[in-house]
Amino acid sequence: MKELFPAQVERLAEPHFLVLFWAAQAEDRKVKFNITNCFDDLKFHRITRTKQNVVAILDSLAALCFVTLKDEGNRRNIYITPYGAKALEALVLHHKFQPRQSAFLEDLTP
Amino acid sequence: MTIGIGGAGGKLAIKLDQDALLVNVSEVEMGKLPARNKLLAVRHSVQGQLRGSRKNPQIGQDAYFSIREELLRLIRGNLVFSSTGGGTGCGICTALLQEISQGAEPALADRTRFAFVLPYAKQEPAEFVANTTQFLGGPLSEALDSGNTGNLILFSNRLKFESKLAEEEFNELMVTSLRTFLEIPRKNEELRLLDGHIDVEDFNLYTAKPYFNHFTTFEFDPGAPFDRQLAQNLNPLLLPPENPIEAIFLLEVPEGGDPRAFYNILDHFTGKEVTPIYSVVENPRLRKPSVTVSMLYSRKPAELVDDFNRISQEHVKAKVRKTVEQHVQLHRLEVNLEQEVKQLARQRGESDNDILVVLKRIGKL
Repeated sequence: MKELFPAQVERLAEPHFLVLFWAAQAEDRKVKFNITNCFDDLKFHRITRTKQNVVAILDSLAALCFVTLKDEGNRRNIYITPYGAKALEALVLHHKFQPRQSAFLEDLTP
Repeated sequence: MTIGIGGAGGKLAIKLDQDALLVNVSEVEMGKLPARNKLLAVRHSVQGQLRGSRKNPQIGQDAYFSIREELLRLIRGNLVFSSTGGGTGCGICTALLQEISQGAEPALADRTRFAFVLPYAKQEPAEFVANTTQFLGGPLSEALDSGNTGNLILFSNRLKFESKLAEEEFNELMVTSLRTFLEIPRKNEELRLLDGHIDVEDFNLYTAKPYFNHFTTFEFDPGAPFDRQLAQNLNPLLLPPENPIEAIFLLEVPEGGDPRAFYNILDHFTGKEVTPIYSVVENPRLRKPSVTVSMLYSRKPAELVDDFNRISQEHVKAKVRKTVEQHVQLHRLEVNLEQEVKQLARQRGESDNDILVVLKRIGKL
């Protein structure tokens, strides 16, 4: 089982990294980060153009227990889990991806 | 007859002579002075008719042509007052002097005497100084070279500004000073003559010469050297004189006074190779001897222009400095480097370390 976690992290792509990163940032700032925000941000960075892709990314992260999706009101909010935090830490330490800003969190929407 | 051109010229002329002829481009301005004789110069524009020339000599120059014939006839043998800084006086006199310079040499009796009031460059508007510079370097230089004018009297506003005098008071001083000089032949006729003689013809001949005239009046102490007394009593209303070319003096002694005191004055001028015209009269109203001296001198107008240019440049520099200080406010840029770096980091994303800090802070690591 020890080899499983690095293998899981190894397979994560940039969108996964960014979702984990933004989810952590949002929690740090005590802001709720939902699927729509996540879609807007990924679209802002021209990573994806469809919401289905975003849902797929989030589903995979949730399946790996890296994030928890909670239905709150009529929003589905994203929370990073301790496994997700470890995965993000591993990605950061390997300098695999460069962080990008969240248009939602930084209020950069044109 | 005395002729006053422009605002300043008109005020002085009317003060010296109630029958003076005033010349202006603005009827409104002319109406402010109690003159019987007025001559309105017009130009083909509404500008200047109501508000005067507002420091623009071109308006005066254009308007001159509407009164050219009449003015040239009227100024013959007379005294003209004008300022060199304003628009009307400077403009009309520019055109007038150019015409006189280019014309045939007039008879001595027909030469016009000019009294100009120069601005005090340190404190008067830069436009006045610029107009004066152009006037001194252009038409006045030409007039001097041509030798077609009479005496040129250069009053300066320096004393007015340095002593903080009211305009009325200062004008009175200038006119009184000039009147004292102009009264020399009358005193010769009215008072008892003790030595020498200056008649009206002598005086007119003297004032018809094309030089700058510096005149002054002071109480004369026969026991003290005249050089020193003259140096101490130069007329503060006029520009200081250079070495005299010709001179005239009237010594007034009190009743029973010693008329021989004039030899001291003669010696002074002889030392400068000048043989003055002089007279000594007895004035019973005086308690001490008094002397009225006039010296004709020539100064290269270029030197005058240089003086003015120098002061004018300082003036312009100061003005530019002031403009910069007053209108181009350079806001002090206060940069908090720490905040800027954080802001930049936020815009670029977050550094690796920051991400780890965040994760620890939210208790997920």
